[in-house]
Amino acid sequence: MNILTSIGEVSWFILLVAAGVAALVGYLYSHFKFYSRSWFFPAVLAVFPALALAVFGGLLGGYAFKLWLSFLAAEAAIAVFFRYVVKGRHTVPYLLLAPAFVGLALLLVYPFVFEVYLSFHDLKLTTIMMWKNTGTLPFVGIDQYIKVFTTSPLSETTFWQLLLRTLVWTFSNVFFHVLGGFILALMLNNSIRFKGFYRTLLVIPWAMPQVVAVLAMRGEFHATNGFVNIVITRLLGFFPFLSHLGVAPVQWLTDYPLLTCTLINIWLGIPFMMVVILGGLQSISSSYYDAADIDGASYFQKLRYITLPLVRPVMMPAVTLGTVWTFNNINVIYLVTGQAGGTEQADILVSALYKAAFTYNRYSYSAAFAIVVFAMLFFFSVFYLKSFDAAKDER
Amino acid sequence: MATVQFKKIVKKFGDNVVLNGVDVDIKDHEFVVIVGPSGCGKTTLLRMLAGLEEISDGEIFIDNLLVNELHPSKREIAMVFQDYALYPHMTVEENMNFALRLRKMDKAEIGARVTEAANILQLNKFLKRMPKQLSGGQRQRVAIGRAIVRKPKVFLFDEPLSNLDAKLREEMRVEIAKLYQRLNATIIYVTHDQVEAMTLAGRIVIMNHGIVQQVGSPIEVYRKPVNLFVAGFIGSPTMNFLSGKLAVKDGVAVFSNESITMPIPAFVLPQKEAREGREVVLGIRPDDVLVERPGGDKCSCKIDGVLEVCELLGHRENLYLKVGGQRLLATVEAFFNRSPGSAVSLCFNYQNMHVFDKATEQRISE
Amino acid sequence: MKKELSAAAKRKRLNHLLIHAGIILFAAACVYPLLRIFSVSLRPGDKLVSMDLAIIPAGATFISYTKLLGDTMFLRWLWNSLLITLATSFIGVSLASTAAYAFSRFRFPGKKAGMILLLSSQMIPAGMLILPLFLMIMKLKLMNTYLGMIIAYSVSSLPFSIWILKGYYDTIPRSLEEAALVDGTSQVGAFWRIILPLSTPALSIAFLFNFTTAWNEYLVARVVLFSSKQYTWTLGLFELQGQYITQWGMFAAGSMLVTIPVLCVFLYSSKWLISGLTLGSVKG
Repeated sequence: MNILTSIGEVSWFILLVAAGVAALVGYLYSHFKFYSRSWFFPAVLAVFPALALAVFGGLLGGYAFKLWLSFLAAEAAIAVFFRYVVKGRHTVPYLLLAPAFVGLALLLVYPFVFEVYLSFHDLKLTTIMMWKNTGTLPFVGIDQYIKVFTTSPLSETTFWQLLLRTLVWTFSNVFFHVLGGFILALMLNNSIRFKGFYRTLLVIPWAMPQVVAVLAMRGEFHATNGFVNIVITRLLGFFPFLSHLGVAPVQWLTDYPLLTCTLINIWLGIPFMMVVILGGLQSISSSYYDAADIDGASYFQKLRYITLPLVRPVMMPAVTLGTVWTFNNINVIYLVTGQAGGTEQADILVSALYKAAFTYNRYSYSAAFAIVVFAMLFFFSVFYLKSFDAAKDER
Repeated sequence: MATVQFKKIVKKFGDNVVLNGVDVDIKDHEFVVIVGPSGCGKTTLLRMLAGLEEISDGEIFIDNLLVNELHPSKREIAMVFQDYALYPHMTVEENMNFALRLRKMDKAEIGARVTEAANILQLNKFLKRMPKQLSGGQRQRVAIGRAIVRKPKVFLFDEPLSNLDAKLREEMRVEIAKLYQRLNATIIYVTHDQVEAMTLAGRIVIMNHGIVQQVGSPIEVYRKPVNLFVAGFIGSPTMNFLSGKLAVKDGVAVFSNESITMPIPAFVLPQKEAREGREVVLGIRPDDVLVERPGGDKCSCKIDGVLEVCELLGHRENLYLKVGGQRLLATVEAFFNRSPGSAVSLCFNYQNMHVFDKATEQRISE
Repeated sequence: MKKELSAAAKRKRLNHLLIHAGIILFAAACVYPLLRIFSVSLRPGDKLVSMDLAIIPAGATFISYTKLLGDTMFLRWLWNSLLITLATSFIGVSLASTAAYAFSRFRFPGKKAGMILLLSSQMIPAGMLILPLFLMIMKLKLMNTYLGMIIAYSVSSLPFSIWILKGYYDTIPRSLEEAALVDGTSQVGAFWRIILPLSTPALSIAFLFNFTTAWNEYLVARVVLFSSKQYTWTLGLFELQGQYITQWGMFAAGSMLVTIPVLCVFLYSSKWLISGLTLGSVKG
């Protein structure tokens, strides 16, 4: 019964969305008189949601009915919009885009605006009940923004420390991703045996569910049972002189949390870069290398003057994307250090804002924090894209 | 079968005018080839007829029915695309009967039509194959077969042979000609290749810059090109053009430029067109440049030239000549046994000489 | 001459040997953690905490697996994840496929703006949207429900899916649709009968991308779901991996059960996925 209900609940929602799409498609059929089936649209508009409601509404009651009503209203609004506002030949593309953009507006743009709203108000544990019941919040102006720079989002670290840490984290990760990816791609781009097999093995960190990968790696950094310390201990057993050089088992998770997170994330991120760069390498015609051989270029000269410039256009977007992803990476840090009593030594900006909201319940503060982080990222992107465009123009 | 009429067709992409008032009447059962250099608007015209392109202004009639607003499938046309546009996920058979299936036609009838078309095009063996497994020529035949099964009023061909190699192209050209005799349909065929146009067409429509330059039978456009563009476009190798000035001496028109001076008889250029000082362009096809041959009374006087390069084509030979500063191409019977650099004498055949006004580029000769 | 050749051949062989050695080293680093989980999952209960490095531990047993399936709600968690993920992917792909078609085939006012909006939405930190989404879901009284999760997930992969699909549609010649129009389909019919069947590879990539994103998601689930009955497997495993070292074995067993199918699907589809990714990145 449990299972039946859960299927019901989900299929109801899917049907709702399907109905939306079907209605739009139906409208297209009626709008263009290729098939003069004028009954198609109203029928679809009425039948699908009605069916959905009849079958599953009963199972859920309450909010399902409200959702259905609002869906119908939205549908009607869309239909009216297209009948009377967007006349003429651009109807089709707008209709095709409508479902996706309505979704994006509701679940991406609206939350963003809501975040801005929150950042100027005061939502915290003590005011959340009031907001839930009345929907109003005390207005505090830019107080939250001032707090972002003056007080600490966590219990120990300040904003500026977090910023520095984030930059170090992003730079070191992306650097090693690209370096490792490049080396692996270069090695794989030879005509060697077992190439496909190697490639399969090498993408495993990327292919594994990230939660499993990170948690497993965290286990390997455990002070007594982790693989890393076991290996260090055994090495010390074989080569005792190493201990004089300062090599010793370390409390990775408590003493060097950021280093641990970085190592784990490097391990996770190399395969993606490798695959992208390998794709770029394989698209380089071998005749360039033949020509360079005839010109007498050495291996490193070929690397410098042929491979690098030709891989660049493929690599740059991936590097940009990788930078943004790494900058925004909460997953690794939260999974490694986020448990109750976890350290805050590894937190970067985004994981701090997550913790500020959901560990410390400082919602509005977290919102203001998020806006600041977003602004930084935004300026980085604009600046970066500009310089990228300029570089393109030069060529 | 059907007639097709284009009335004052205009097509604009933004401010860019692609077609500027095209008027063409196509009769029933006619094989019309629309030819012109790339970008002249010929394909756009065809696509407008098919309903794939919006009509900015003007009217198109098929069988006297205005089709401007009609969906492509309701126009009873079939189209063969340049890249064949075979649906890659359907077999040859499914490709061919797709349109019939969409119309919910009777299954037996569909089978009969497909078999018939496959017989005509020798595709029986390939019906169950996917387009990927076919050669270029076979794909071309499937694309034609897909058009045939529809039994449309008008067949549209959009540069159908341009993706084939030279040898296959010739074969398919003959096939299409045979097909036309067999189907006896109205065919509109777009190409940029004037050889295809000359060999296939009942009538040729020559276009340039979105304007119809000349409409006529192949022999008409070859013999009497109405303007410089048509003269230069039709015929291979290209016509020789000599620009210069007219003078009138004792009632006889005389053409002259820095290199060549010769009289132009009245049967070529009517007297009313021969004005003193008029800037003209003479057009002479390479076949009509006679080298080291006694000219008759229909030929110009002898002119001295120098042979620059010979190209042996087999039974013909191209001679690149220079008369003063003027370069000329002559095509003569093989073998012309002279070494490059030697002096030759040549004359022009007046019967096939064309005279155009330099300013208007229009034909002024008979 | 002959001697020189053999020297070159020798050098080549040495090179290849070095390359093999290097790759094997890296590959070992990639695979070893997975093997370690496997090894832990096989350990008997009293030897979970061990310094042993052997892959198949002494006294290997499936007790962790039976305990996981019997004593915890692991199957229920998998089921929750599966439902949420399938629904999300279905919605995501169907929305993306039509939107991408509009971007690929039509010229309309606002097209460029729309594309830029899509790209720039990728710049919004995902972590930033969790809070407002959480509050919205709370306000809608959808906390701790599938629906809340599906709503939160459904558009997260949309921009990327649209991008991938648009890139793929762009490679399908327009004349195919035109031929279909002449044959008697409508514009939408051409999309449905020609473009969609031809785009199966790209649709699968988009579906897989949606699927893996939602399947592996942790942070939103953490705040939306609070009763262990509604947990997705990521939440469940995280809890198992918690402080109690006794649950290590069950965590490892669960990880194996989740990872193996995902890994198989990923490796099977990696060719498509990679070509899609590189296509997207080249065009981006």
